[in-house]
Amino acid sequence: MKAIHYINQFFGQIGGEDKADQTPIFHDGLIGCSMMLNAMVKPDIEVTNTIVCGDNYITNHTEEALKEIFAFLDTKEFGIFFAGPAFMAGRYGVGCGIVCKAVKERYNVPVITSMNEENPGVEEYKSVAYIFKGGRKATFMKADITPMAAFAKKIAKGEELLPAAQEGYFPRGIRAEIPEPNGIMAADRVIDMLLKKLHGEPYQTELIIPAMEKIPPAEPLKDLSKATIALVSSSGVVPVDNPDRIQSASAQKWGKYDISKLDNLPEGVFKTIHAGFDPAAMCAVPDRGVPVDAMRYFEKQGKIGKLYDYFYVTVGTGTTQAFAAKFGKEIAQELHAANVDAVILTST
Amino acid sequence: MRLEIGAFHVKDIIFGEKTFYQAGVLTLNKDELLNVVKEDEHITTADLKIVHPGDNVILCPVKEAVEMRCKVSGGHGIFPGVLSEMEVAGSGRTHCLQDCSLIVVGEHAGGFQDGVIAMGGKYQHHTIFGDMPNLVLVADTDEDFERHEQQKKNHALRWAGMRLAEYIGQCVKDLEPENIEVYDLPSIPERSEEVKQLPGVLYVLQPQSQMETMGYNTLIYGWDANHILPTFMHPNELLDGCMVSGSFMPTSSKISTYEFAVNPMIKRLYAQHGKTINFLGVLMSTLNVKMDEKVRCVKMAGQIATSLGAQAAVVVEEGYGNPDVDYTAMLVELERLGIKTVGLSDECTGRDGASQPLVSMNPATNALVTTGNVSQMYEFPAGMEVIGELEALARDGNSGGWEGCINPDGSFVMENNGMFCANHISGYSVRTCADF
Repeated sequence: MKAIHYINQFFGQIGGEDKADQTPIFHDGLIGCSMMLNAMVKPDIEVTNTIVCGDNYITNHTEEALKEIFAFLDTKEFGIFFAGPAFMAGRYGVGCGIVCKAVKERYNVPVITSMNEENPGVEEYKSVAYIFKGGRKATFMKADITPMAAFAKKIAKGEELLPAAQEGYFPRGIRAEIPEPNGIMAADRVIDMLLKKLHGEPYQTELIIPAMEKIPPAEPLKDLSKATIALVSSSGVVPVDNPDRIQSASAQKWGKYDISKLDNLPEGVFKTIHAGFDPAAMCAVPDRGVPVDAMRYFEKQGKIGKLYDYFYVTVGTGTTQAFAAKFGKEIAQELHAANVDAVILTST
Repeated sequence: MRLEIGAFHVKDIIFGEKTFYQAGVLTLNKDELLNVVKEDEHITTADLKIVHPGDNVILCPVKEAVEMRCKVSGGHGIFPGVLSEMEVAGSGRTHCLQDCSLIVVGEHAGGFQDGVIAMGGKYQHHTIFGDMPNLVLVADTDEDFERHEQQKKNHALRWAGMRLAEYIGQCVKDLEPENIEVYDLPSIPERSEEVKQLPGVLYVLQPQSQMETMGYNTLIYGWDANHILPTFMHPNELLDGCMVSGSFMPTSSKISTYEFAVNPMIKRLYAQHGKTINFLGVLMSTLNVKMDEKVRCVKMAGQIATSLGAQAAVVVEEGYGNPDVDYTAMLVELERLGIKTVGLSDECTGRDGASQPLVSMNPATNALVTTGNVSQMYEFPAGMEVIGELEALARDGNSGGWEGCINPDGSFVMENNGMFCANHISGYSVRTCADF
């Protein structure tokens, strides 16, 4: 099996921060840590090429960078794609994540990288790539490449892949059934867990329930007829040309659109880009997603003080909790600064 | 309450001239037994077969599994309130043909609630029944009103299984058991001071009781579990046949009648009693469809647990999906009352493994044992002999099958959902789930 390895400008021996705008360089052979990786995956896998790209270029000019990388990869035969390790380097981690995600989507091959748990790339890309748990800095190079290589060899040989915890990568949000590793039956596992819990000893639950952040609800409005109300929505209703390129699923952005001169959202001017339902009805009447018409009615009736001049929108389907919370904070900050009193959230 | 289970360890089942048990071999007169089956005029055709671990055989559609037993003293039948008069089970002597079971298979028609058992191949060990010799009743009925219904009561077949299990069990009534298991748990105030010092533990069972129409739910002494409020019971009642498995919901999350009685979880709690815990007993609860019903049961169960002085509880959910709400709510309510809980149930992670594993989740449920994943895909090779009708898996709305899941060569794909009682919520499961 053949593999290709992506690294940044620093590990690609171009330079440091000053070379972070470097456009992709495609090596005929291997450079830097690719050689160590190749030595570890031999003979089951041959790493044929190293791709080097500046961290700023891949994160700030993603579309162009990916276009160049695809043009190169389209001519290559490979069954596995590697990136990094990126250690704690944030932009390098995000860059590895961007490339891994794009390669996975276009070529549907396993994508393997490594990052430290504090690297922001982990949270953003752990669901799309095998991100191995790595050290904080480059002195961990050998230690971090080792599990990446061992895992890739298992894939190449068609061996059984063990759960994330055993292999050493961050769980991808996928759960599957396995034989209980020690063949212990459930009733005995219950007794063991029960006695440990009763005695205050450490035990491992078999299904970890993630902690949920509880947000206290805001105080009720004192006088609705004087309140400025904003519409915020996950319905994916945007101007027809989707100027902010909000993704139709697994959104990583939100948009903000002026409705100060509109009494409704006309068909053909707005539409929904949401991929989670049949869009026909909402494209015909975009107010079904973002009810500007109803709000104007209440505004004219004097029921509410004012409809805020912009609505905010993203796409809810597949969007991670982390991104949703980030959008919420960003939007809330703007609304707060604009003295908006309340929000109507519409979902689909 | 003291129950003696007189054990006869069956190593093989064979057909012969007479029905008798000797030295590990259960010999059965087929014609005699088929007459018992046909006592119900609704049974139209019936046959008996014997399968062994390792046989290259699939059973489908499986309706029920029962342990063959007889009541020797302390009662009149092995299913009180169902096949015999209502009396409290759990006292005296019951003789059991252990290490084997009686399995009831539909000759043709299956349904949502029925399942598959593999006696050999890759999935032999996915059910306990693949690891023991089984007597298999394959029969059809004239219950035409539900022949084309996805949800079937399977009344005639399930009752035939119970009658047959009790009839065969009679052959060891007068024999000396090979060993006797004693389950002796006095009333709570009568226990010694040493035992009372140990943490009181309850077995909280949520049997499947969500069907509003009668005839499908788990029965307690013949009473539809949909019609009970949380009730305090003695573990011996379960070990001695007070529960009959229902005919509703995906089978892999079900507890068979065999397992309600043989119940490894209750036996493990018994084994710890007086050593590490004070096993208080069974808190029989329910699974419900309406939110107010869920809340009522959970709150009332919490009160009973508190009044009994429980310090810990094992909460067991016979189901998944909507009933996860009852399961999580029960765990959360008991934890809120200061009762330490361990949960026992399965997960549903979806075809891609990315779905939320329980419909309702709460961080207070911090000790969960997982017995399987209803979404897991199983691929069976061609060439396995079928007892029953494999097509039922694809044709009759089985929870783990679908039209086209069987290939022309006889190989097939199914979801865990449709493997008979495979997640063994009773506690037998040797599978779990992990993050990938």
